[in-house]
This record gives sequence, structure tokens and C-alpha cells, in this order.
Amino acid sequence: MIRFLTRKVPSVVFVLFAGSVVAFALPRLAPGNVAVTLAGENPTAANVAAIQRQLGLDRPLLVQYWDWISGLFRGDLGESYLLHRSVASVIGDRLESTVELAVLSTLLVILIGTVLGVLAGSTGRNWARATLDLAGSLFIAVPSFLIGVLLILVFGVLNRWLPVSGEVGFLHDPAIGIQYLTLPAFALALGPAAAVARLLQTEMRAAGNEEYVDLARSKGASASRVTIRHVLRNSVGTAVVAVGLQIGNLLAGAVVIEAIFNRNGLGQLVVSSVQTRDFTVLQVLILGVVFVAVICQILTEIVLAALDPRIKLGD
Amino acid sequence: MADVQPASAAVAVPEARRRLNPTLARYLSAFRTPKGMTGLAILLLLGLAALLAPVLFPGGYDRQGRASLTGMSADHIFGVDEYGRDIFVRSIYGLRIDLSLILTAVPLCMVIGTLLGLSGAISERLGAAVQRVLDVILGFPGLILGICLVAVLRPGWPALFLTILITGLPSTGRLARSAWLSQQNREYVLAARVLGVSRRQLLLRHVLPNAMDAIVVNGAVWMVVGVYIEAGLSIVGLGVQPPTPSLGVLLNNGLRFITQSSTYIVGPALLILLLAVGFGLVSDALNEAVNRR
Amino acid sequence: MTPADGRLHGGEPPVTSPTRPAAAGRPASPTAEDAPLLRVEGLRTEFRLKDGGVKAVNDVTFDIRPGEVVGIVGESGSGKSVTVRSIMRMLRPPGEVVAGSVRLDGEDLLTLPEKEMRRRRGSKVAMVFQDPQAALNPVMTVGDQIVEAMTVHGVGRKAARERAIRLLEQVGIPDVRAKIDQYPHQFSGGMRQRVVIAIALANDPTLLIADEPTTALDVTIQAQILRLLARLSSELGIAIAIITHDMGVVAELCTKVVVMYGGRTVEKGTVEQVFEHPRHPYTAALLAAMPRLDDDRLGRPLPAIPGAPPDPAALPAGCPFAPRCRFAEDACEQEPPAMLPIGDSGQEVACVVAHRDAETPIRDLPDPTQVPVPDGPATAASTADTVVLEVRDLKVDVGRRRGLLRRESSVYAVDGVSLSVQAGRTLGLVGESGCGKSTLSRSIVGITPIAGGSILVDGTDVSERREQNLARVRTSVQYLFQDPYASLNPRRTIRQSLAEALALTGVGGRDREAAARDLMAQVGLRAEHLDRYPHAFSGGQRQRIGIARALARRPRTLILDEPVSALDMSIQAQIINLLGRLQDELGLGYLFIAHDLSVVRHLSDTVAVMYLGRIVEYGDAAAVYGAPQHPYTAALLSSSPVPTVSARSRERIVLPGDLPSPANPPSGCRFRTRCPIGPLVHADRTICAEVEPQLTTTATGQRAACHFAGELASRP
Repeated sequence: MIRFLTRKVPSVVFVLFAGSVVAFALPRLAPGNVAVTLAGENPTAANVAAIQRQLGLDRPLLVQYWDWISGLFRGDLGESYLLHRSVASVIGDRLESTVELAVLSTLLVILIGTVLGVLAGSTGRNWARATLDLAGSLFIAVPSFLIGVLLILVFGVLNRWLPVSGEVGFLHDPAIGIQYLTLPAFALALGPAAAVARLLQTEMRAAGNEEYVDLARSKGASASRVTIRHVLRNSVGTAVVAVGLQIGNLLAGAVVIEAIFNRNGLGQLVVSSVQTRDFTVLQVLILGVVFVAVICQILTEIVLAALDPRIKLGD
Repeated sequence: MADVQPASAAVAVPEARRRLNPTLARYLSAFRTPKGMTGLAILLLLGLAALLAPVLFPGGYDRQGRASLTGMSADHIFGVDEYGRDIFVRSIYGLRIDLSLILTAVPLCMVIGTLLGLSGAISERLGAAVQRVLDVILGFPGLILGICLVAVLRPGWPALFLTILITGLPSTGRLARSAWLSQQNREYVLAARVLGVSRRQLLLRHVLPNAMDAIVVNGAVWMVVGVYIEAGLSIVGLGVQPPTPSLGVLLNNGLRFITQSSTYIVGPALLILLLAVGFGLVSDALNEAVNRR
Repeated sequence: MTPADGRLHGGEPPVTSPTRPAAAGRPASPTAEDAPLLRVEGLRTEFRLKDGGVKAVNDVTFDIRPGEVVGIVGESGSGKSVTVRSIMRMLRPPGEVVAGSVRLDGEDLLTLPEKEMRRRRGSKVAMVFQDPQAALNPVMTVGDQIVEAMTVHGVGRKAARERAIRLLEQVGIPDVRAKIDQYPHQFSGGMRQRVVIAIALANDPTLLIADEPTTALDVTIQAQILRLLARLSSELGIAIAIITHDMGVVAELCTKVVVMYGGRTVEKGTVEQVFEHPRHPYTAALLAAMPRLDDDRLGRPLPAIPGAPPDPAALPAGCPFAPRCRFAEDACEQEPPAMLPIGDSGQEVACVVAHRDAETPIRDLPDPTQVPVPDGPATAASTADTVVLEVRDLKVDVGRRRGLLRRESSVYAVDGVSLSVQAGRTLGLVGESGCGKSTLSRSIVGITPIAGGSILVDGTDVSERREQNLARVRTSVQYLFQDPYASLNPRRTIRQSLAEALALTGVGGRDREAAARDLMAQVGLRAEHLDRYPHAFSGGQRQRIGIARALARRPRTLILDEPVSALDMSIQAQIINLLGRLQDELGLGYLFIAHDLSVVRHLSDTVAVMYLGRIVEYGDAAAVYGAPQHPYTAALLSSSPVPTVSARSRERIVLPGDLPSPANPPSGCRFRTRCPIGPLVHADRTICAEVEPQLTTTATGQRAACHFAGELASRP
């Protein structure tokens, strides 16, 4: 485990470094003076001068980068010149909303994906397989925002069953919070869940043709035992990888879903900081996304190694 | 009727087929299946409508009527928007934007991605380095990358174009690279090497044709992804800027007025779905055609 | 007589069956002797596809009695595997048994409800599969997999584990207490097959069905498994049905044979009957066409069977063998002949001609199509002295390099090998998988880089400045790959494939078309087929195309990498004959790589035996086969199954253990860890571990790398 982590360090550092370079470069690539850009849409001369001084924009790029990145390590995420608040507090305000959405969606992806995948992968009935196939193709093909629109129309406009706009913190009031959370979480999760189910199903059907499954059947094991102990057990790895891959999609999808359901989360913060050109906030958010994606990838590999004795963490 | 066109085009294929390159003939055979034909028919219909929009609706997408936010009717099959503009006309013009994006960005992405993926043929170090860079791009979820580009370039067509192009590179590049890596150890490639076939010929004759299948199918899939990227960025307000309509912009507007006119959003959403179904059927048919014996 | 007791019986305890009472009634009881244990009658299995059904099994009937070892033998598409899957009721959809019965102890398995059938599987009938790499669940410990076989039939976990330990000991797994909790990937191929057998034995089945149990294994490992199966039969009295394509395995192990062709049983009888007096033209022709270790037909073509086995989707209306049969008459093509007894000793055959001429065995009938074969031409002698390819002290490093900084240590798959190929002559290179023979041959043509030593083509050293010199290599040395399906680009017509090669030889324009047609004729294919794609050809035809493509470069040397091992047995002789003819006509030098010693014997003038990256014996084929000086050569020869009944009584050398890893070869003699005359047996022979033996000339003329060369030479 320790060896695995140390072996992973170079590639993780590389990806994070690349991400930080991109984030660092953003305001500097944009046309015009960086300080003017950072000062927002209607900059005042004093503001611009202050930013110029504070960031040391007259110093070499490497020094600027070092200042920024070492600040991040010290926990100093910078200052939003538009909102006149620290980036940390701006992000902190929005964190709960997005974390709630992401966690519930991920749980739904795992739950729906595995259940549908196992059903479609193990059923021998042609009609059941065809129905599940069709439903799967549909949800893979239809993007999360259209599913969101459909859910809003059905559950919020035509029938006023659930709230479709705004939010209440789950920790603040679980009963109400879950109502606000349900539709966006489903909108976000259905597509990735169908993708997970599809991969799991394909893998299970492939595993079903393996000789060790024949051997298990020739032992006299029952169909359900063969499915669970042999077919599924050898296919979960794929499901784990699929879930790991889909988390990136979830994060990206959250930006749109938050907009559709008017949730004040980090996704909306990303959008508004692009619109107002508040780069100090945007930089940190971008790096954060890359960081989360990297962590997910490492977790995936660890789970995969735990599931498969052939994979040894460390070699 | 516009959708008679594809059927006759497909029937004409067999005669021409004998002289065709077998790889191309296989791709064309996809359009003789019911799936491929339906997909092609949908796409041609949409394509024609978009192409002929200025002829069909010479008034442009900005002509305002008196009523606003009415539902679907015989005069305005998708209804009218907050300024009394016909949503159907705006959708067709929006389709032009979307098609112009994906039909330029995706093919370009396929070409560049293939070249990047095959860079390993020049030197293994270069190939591995390129793969590293592509992996970093893959680390950015599609929309996040788009948001970065929009932040730098300001919202608009160029930012969308680049987003679709760049987000598609890793998958195409990876397909080409894995084809290169796996084909290298195939016995028929080894056999060609033993005969003395040059590297360039090896790539052109043996590796590329066998890599093309996956890349072409992937290209058809990316057409849909391209539309979704446009729509996603437009919904959050970072796409094409009003009053220019794109399908995503129309979705954005529809969402804003969803409580006043629940049908506003339905028309543009249906068009996006139709586009997705068309490309989906075509990519499915292509996939089956290339895997057919 | 069973081949069970060879040398080195050593460590393995006798197979016992603790859970079965001694007087369980079989096979000692005379009443049970008469009733068949398994009776398959009129079995028909079809695969229903969209475009019509494929009749995979047509009217198959045979019996297996307690204690018998029955060989079900046939080529690919003969329906042998589908037959056993039908018996086990483990057909994959859309396969379906449409007629017939399968009675086990008098009870029809085909009519049982699935739940009842499940209780028979594994407890009364058990199965051993072909590929031990694939037959074990990779994420379950081997112990759990054996235990599962018992717990699903109601045995308690604790008792099951105790028995699993005993079973693993019985099948010859060393250090069971540690190994039982390991995963399959920690076992070698041979050890995994032993585990699969242990699983099959878990519930004391009365019948064991083994589907090609040794096909995926090396010769020396195959010998271990065959001996284990023979012991099971003799010590437990278990009935065994073994599905195989290898006549040698049948002759070695079985008491009875069922020969299948085109989904039908065409002949059955005892091994003695079928091998000594084959009645069906197919059986007779097949036995005659196989190259043998003791072949006296050297330098002459084998009596090959023309054509290819039928496609199960398009079977002929009459006898499935009729299109290839030299005795075929009009009647043969009308309807399939019935299986009828011939003689009065229980042999049965489905052939109209054989029944009419029941007195004369079919083998001795005059062959209406036989053309007189000219005696081996003497052309070879004139060119024999020219060395066209020479390898000196070659080393090939296959150690992987990962990352920028870390460098894995070297792994020499080929470690100091020298050999030479002469024009018009064949050097046979023999060894098991992993010995480095393919790495060696691929490094010669530049697919794998070399780490040391030199390669000489037509007397010129081409090992320096590889890139420029490779062009030179390729004008003189060509390569024929093992897998005829993989070595042709599926996207290119035969014409395109040949044109590519011809263009490189400098044949252009109008000449190219003529050259392509000539090549097709040379390898026995029709020029009209030039515009077809590879998938339109059978395996044998594809291998001919591969040969034509190699010849297009007008080489002086051909490297043949297992050119017939992927082909059906009735096709192999055709390709062997073609290669022999081309050598005579063109004076080609062959480097012939194979694991099948009989094929090598038939084609080779000189033989090199390779073990773990080194050549251990090298010399004249007759000398090496007649009096093997190195114990490894002797063991290989002794382990190879021979398709004659008379060979059954010979004493066998069965090597213990597996091939060591080339990454960490044993000190001194690399073979000492498995050697039947080395320190394993003679503790005083410490020299084997200390001093590496060099190739030295022995008394019989060939060279061998052994401190005690010749000790096993007298063995036949």
C-alpha cells in the first residue's frame, strides 16, 4: 500500500502540476491586462493598481506561480477582488450544496448501476434483456440536462410534487432538504448509472462465457450461485472502474444541473466567476476539480486491487 | 419529401461498390441496414432544413410577433417566445449553429487525434509523451475544460469549437494509439515487416485501416457529445450569446420561462433528441457494419 | 496395461478414495460390468441460428462401461465437444439437444428437471476442461474452489476443506498446506490442471469427462497429466471419457475409441482394433497421414488426405467424409451410412465400402487415386554445403524496461545459441513453450532486437548496423507464422498481399500478375482466388497463402514457426508435403521450429533441442532421435504420445516440475532441477549445480551439453 502510494506520487504530482499550470495561466492568457481582468467588469484605477502590487505582476512568471502555489499549500487560497472576500470563504459558503448533490448522485449511480447491470447481465429472458438494453441506451444517450428538464416538467410543472428550484441544506433540515435534492440528484445520476450498468452487463455476459463458469456449473452449483460467486465476482472490478470514471462526468454535469435547478453550489460559482471574470476564484475551483478527479482515480485503483488478487499494489 | 433521398442513395451503393475501397464499402454498407437508413434519413432531413433555413424562413430568426409565450399551435408549431418570435424558426436557425460546430470540430478532431495517437510510430518516446498530455486533458471533465476556454476566450462560437475539438482529442488519440500498439504485435503486421515493408507503408496499409473503424464510430458518437457540450455551456449562459439562437440557448430561455410556458422548452429539446437519435443510430449501424464478418 | 508407472514415481502418494466404501460395487462386481455406466443413443444437437440450424451432432451413439477409458477423437467441427456438453446439459444457447437419450446408470439425464440434473453434475459426472489458465476462477483461492464443489452437494465446510487438502496431495500438488490458500495465478499451467482434476474428483464421481485436458500443455507436462489420469483409472476404477484430437493420447491412455467426423460417429472399437485394423477410410487415412517418431518414410511425402473437414453449417447429404474419400461411390453421397458392427469383436463402423469388403481391412485396399511418388530427389546433396543462415552465440534480452529511471535486470530468453542452416536442408529446433525458440527466430528477422552475438546471412554478418542490414536479411530470410488466421491482413485480398511482397522483390507491372499466378500454382491454390479475402479460405489454404507470400521475396532460407500446429490433423500432412516439395524444387534452407517431435522428425536433417534459452543437444536427426544423449531430449522423446498400440508398454520418463523462469535460471546446468539423472536422483552429482556443461561431441556423433551425456541413450 505504501509502496503503491509512493509509486503513484510522480503521476499524481504531474497531473496536479499540469492542472495548476492551466489554472495559473487562465487569467494571463485572457486578452488584456491581467490586473484589469482580475479587477472585474468595471475596474477602478486604484483597484487595478492594488491588484498589480499585490500579485507582483511585474515580477517574473515563475515567481508569480511560486507565490500562488505556495500560498495554496499554506491554505491561503487568495482573495476575490470582486467580492472583496477570501476565496476560501466564498467556496466554503457553496460547498455544502454541491457536496450533498455529488454524494447523493454517486450513491444513486452505484445503486442503480449495479442493480440494473446485474439484472441485465444475468437474466436469461430475452424480453427482459431487451427492455433493460433499451432503457439503458436511452439513459446513456440522453444528457443529464434533458433528463433534468423532463423531471422538472413532470414533477414540478405538470404535477407540483417536488420543488424544482432552489435548495434547503440537508443538514439544516433533512426532510425538506431531501425534497430539494431528489430531482437534481436523479437527473445527474441516471445517465452515469446507465453507463455503469451497461459496462457491468457487458462484462458479466463476457464472464459468463468463461471456462471457469462452465467449471462451476459442472460442479453442480446453482444458477444463482454461479452468477454471484463466479460471474459477478469477476465483473465488479469493471463496475468500480466505471463508477470512478463517471465521477468526473458527475462533477461536470453538476455545473449544468445546478443551473437548471437554481442551486447555489460550486457549479454556479464557477459559472458566475467566469461571467464576472473573477479569476482568483475560478483558478482554485479548477484545481479543486482536478484534485478530486485524481483522488477518485487512486481510490479506484485501490479498490480494484483489493478485489482482484492478481493485482498487487506496488508492482 | 426529403427523407426519400437517403433510401435511393443507399440503393445506389451496390453498383458503385465494386470499385470502392473495401473499408469505405463497409462503412457505406452500414447505411443499407434499417438502423443506418433511419439515422441517415433523420440527419439528412435536419441537415437540409438547417441548410435551407434562409430560403425557408427568409424573415430570419428575429422577426417578432404580437403574442408572446403562447403554446404550440398550427401557426407556430413550437409556440412563440418571450418576444413573440417563432420558436420553430429559431430552432432551425439554432440547428445551423450546432451543425456548423460539430461538422467542423469533430472531423478535425478525428484527424488531429489520429495523428497524435500515431505519433508513436515516429518514436516511442514521443508517443508516450503525447499520451501523457492527452491523459491530462482527459483529467478535466469535458465541461470544465470548456469553462476554462470560455474564461479565456469569452463566450462564443470559437470557444465552443475549441472545446469540442480539444475534449474529443483524448478519446480519438487513445483509440489510434491503442490500435498502433496492438497492431504492432499482430502477426500480419509482423509478416509485413519481415517482408521488408517500410514503416510508412506499414502505417498506411496495415495499421490505419484497422484503426479507422473504431475512430469513425467514435467520431459519430462525438457528434452527439459536441451538441451536448454546446447545450450544456449555453444552458449556464456560457455558450453563444443572445440574440443568436443555438439549441442550447433556446433550452436556456425555455428553462427561464418554464413556469409561464411549459411547452417553450419542448421543441428545442425534441430537436436535440432527434439529432442525438440520428447520430446514435448511425454510429450503431457503423459499429455493427465494421464488426460484421 | 496402463502407462501409469514410469520412473520418478517418487513423491506422489497413491490415489485413494476415502469417502467411498471399498465394496461400493464397481468395477469389481460382475453385474455392473455388463451394464453400461453411460449410454448415449441417437444424440442430435443443433444450434438454431437466424439463417437456419447448424447440426453440430448427428446421431451419436456410444457406451461407456465402468472402469473404461474411452477416447472420443475428432478434428475441429467434428462435434466432439458439443457431444460432451450435451451429456452434461451445459450447452450454450442457441444449442439444443433435439433427439436422443443420455442414460447414466439407466437414468435419462436429458429428461431430468434442471434441479435434479444439478445434483448429478459434479457428484456423479465431473468434467475437466481444456485450458487450465481459463478454467479456474481467478479471484477465488484454489482451496475455496475445491471446497465449493463439495459444499454445493451438502458437505460441511470443515470436512470439505480436510478432503480438499487430501485431494490436492493426491493429484500431486507439493506443499499443500501453503498452496491451498493461494490463487490460481500463483500456479503453473500443469499445477492448475491438477487442481481442476482435484475439483472433478471431489465427490467421487463415477464418470470423469475430460475435454482436451492436455492440449494447452507442454509435452512434458502433458505426460504428467496423462499419467495422473491413468492412475485415477487404475487405482480408483473411475470411468474416463477423454475428448481429444490427438491420436497419440488415445493410443497411450484409452481402452476404447470413438472416432467422430462431421458430427457423426464413424468408427468405434477397442484401441487395439481401431489402431491396428482401422475399418473406416477416414480413420485409416488419418493414421497413415500422421508423421511418426519412428517414421521410415523420411524424404517421401506423407499420404495426405485431400480437402478440408466439412463446415458443420453445410454438411454433405451423405457420408460426411465422402468428398475427401478415395473409396467414395455414388451410394456414399446419397445418405449417411449407418453405424453397424463389423467382424464379431465389437468393432463398429459407418461405411458402405468397409462393410462390403469386410474381409479385407480398408488400409490394404488398392488406392485408386494414388500416384506413384518419385524417390527423394538427390538435388539437396549438391547444395548441402552452402550455409545460408548462421547464428553465433546469440543473446536476446527480453527484460522489460519501465519508466525513465528504473531499469529492470536483463532476462535472456536466448542465451548464447549457435546454429546454422544449410541450403536444401532442414534444421529442426525443438523445445517447450518458454524455451526461447520463437524469440530466437524472431530476433533473426529483426522483430526482436538482439543483445549479443552475431547473425550471418549467406555468409555476411548482419548483426551490426541492424537497420541497414535488415533489408539484406529480408531478401534472403523469410518467415512463416504459426497462426494462419492472424498472419494475413483481413482487409487485403490475396492479390494485394502478394503484390506487396512482389513489389519489394522488384517485380512490377505486368510481370507481377504472372508472378502472383505462378505463386498460387506453386502452393497448390487456384489463381482465380487471388481476389478473395482471407476469411474465404480454410486454415490450410491460408497457410499456403502465407507460404506463397514468403516465397514472393525469393528467399534462400525460410523460418517455419510451428507452421502446422494450428491446423487440423488431416490438413497437417498436406502442408508438410508442400514444404518438403518446395524445398526440393527451390533448394530452400529451413529453420523449422516445433514442439511436435514427430513433425520435426519427418522434415529435419539436423535437430537442435532447446531448453531455457540454451541448446542442450545438436546433431544429425537420426542420431538425436535414435540415441538421445541429453536427458532432456530423452525425456521429450519418451513423453511424446505415439499413435500406436505397441508403444503403450514402453517405459516412460516423466519429468517432474515445471520450466524455471528465464529471469532466474538455475546455476550450473539449467536442467538440473528436473533432470532424471541429475542431483535430484543422485545426490553426489554436485557438479551439475556448480559447472555449466558445454556442448561437446558425444560417442554417437551429435553434440550434447550434459556432464553425464548418454546415460539415457539406450532408451527407445
